[in-house]
Amino acid sequence: MADDLVLDTAIRNWVLVPLSVVMVLIGVLRYFVSKLIRSSQNPDTKAIKEGQAVIRARNLRSAAHLIPSKSFRSRRIYFTNEENGLLYVPKEEAQKAQAQMFQDPNMAMDMMKKNLSMIIPQTLTFAWVNFFFSGFVAAKIPFPLTPRFRSMLQNGIDLSTVDVSYVSSRSWYFLNLFGLRGFFSLILGEENATDDA
Amino acid sequence: MATQDKRSDTSDFPEIINTDNLQSNMKSIYYSRTFLSIIGGVIAGIWGFTGFTGFVFYFVVMLAASFGLAAKAKFSADSYFDSWNRVLLDGILGGLMSFVLFWTFAYDIVHIF
Repeated sequence: MADDLVLDTAIRNWVLVPLSVVMVLIGVLRYFVSKLIRSSQNPDTKAIKEGQAVIRARNLRSAAHLIPSKSFRSRRIYFTNEENGLLYVPKEEAQKAQAQMFQDPNMAMDMMKKNLSMIIPQTLTFAWVNFFFSGFVAAKIPFPLTPRFRSMLQNGIDLSTVDVSYVSSRSWYFLNLFGLRGFFSLILGEENATDDA
Repeated sequence: MATQDKRSDTSDFPEIINTDNLQSNMKSIYYSRTFLSIIGGVIAGIWGFTGFTGFVFYFVVMLAASFGLAAKAKFSADSYFDSWNRVLLDGILGGLMSFVLFWTFAYDIVHIF
């Protein structure tokens, strides 16, 4: 069994490096596009008020041991009493609010846009990789895997005696997909929208 | 990125945690671990580690990173984080994928092609 394949330098120049570069560029592009597309939402006064009230309640809860218990109790009643407590929401209203959240066109649109902006570039890149870069050994991974992974990693290669360490470009694509997430978080800062989660 | 003191109450009561500072400290841990995994991956590839040795190298690098972080936090996790686990263990698995990617890349470029 050939243990040390010698691979053409042209593979390195024209497959590995371009694929990585393309994925990095697509990630950066997606970041900027998502920033541009994000519709500037006019902050809703009511929602902000409620959010701030929740923050106040959370601060109260975390600092509860530092104030006299009488003042803690009076503050708590201010938030939760049934007539005009800031945080009290009658049952029917709560359900209405949730139903509204799903029908709200803006929020649904945003969620859909975010999902699409993640799925489409991945699908396109995967199709591109499959079309152009299939049928040859692309890289050698430095650690050995069991033969069960052969069908997953070597899909374009039709020889079965090649070491499982020699993988096709599809697996290079997946390796890039997962490995570049950390890289993106370094160069794009927060909110980079490249997390698959 | 400097770590920021997050403790705002030095009495005997359980402390209040300033969440902004805590989050910024967590971010700096994450960034430094990611950066070190990438650099470690390139180094492992250039040196030609294969198989198990490479993973051992990764964990050695992560240990060194944990030690460095602990030293930077003056060995008292309480003043900068809410638990020791964060300092020592957070982000290790996330960095593994980046390490493997850059390890493969460097190894191929130097040794195979």
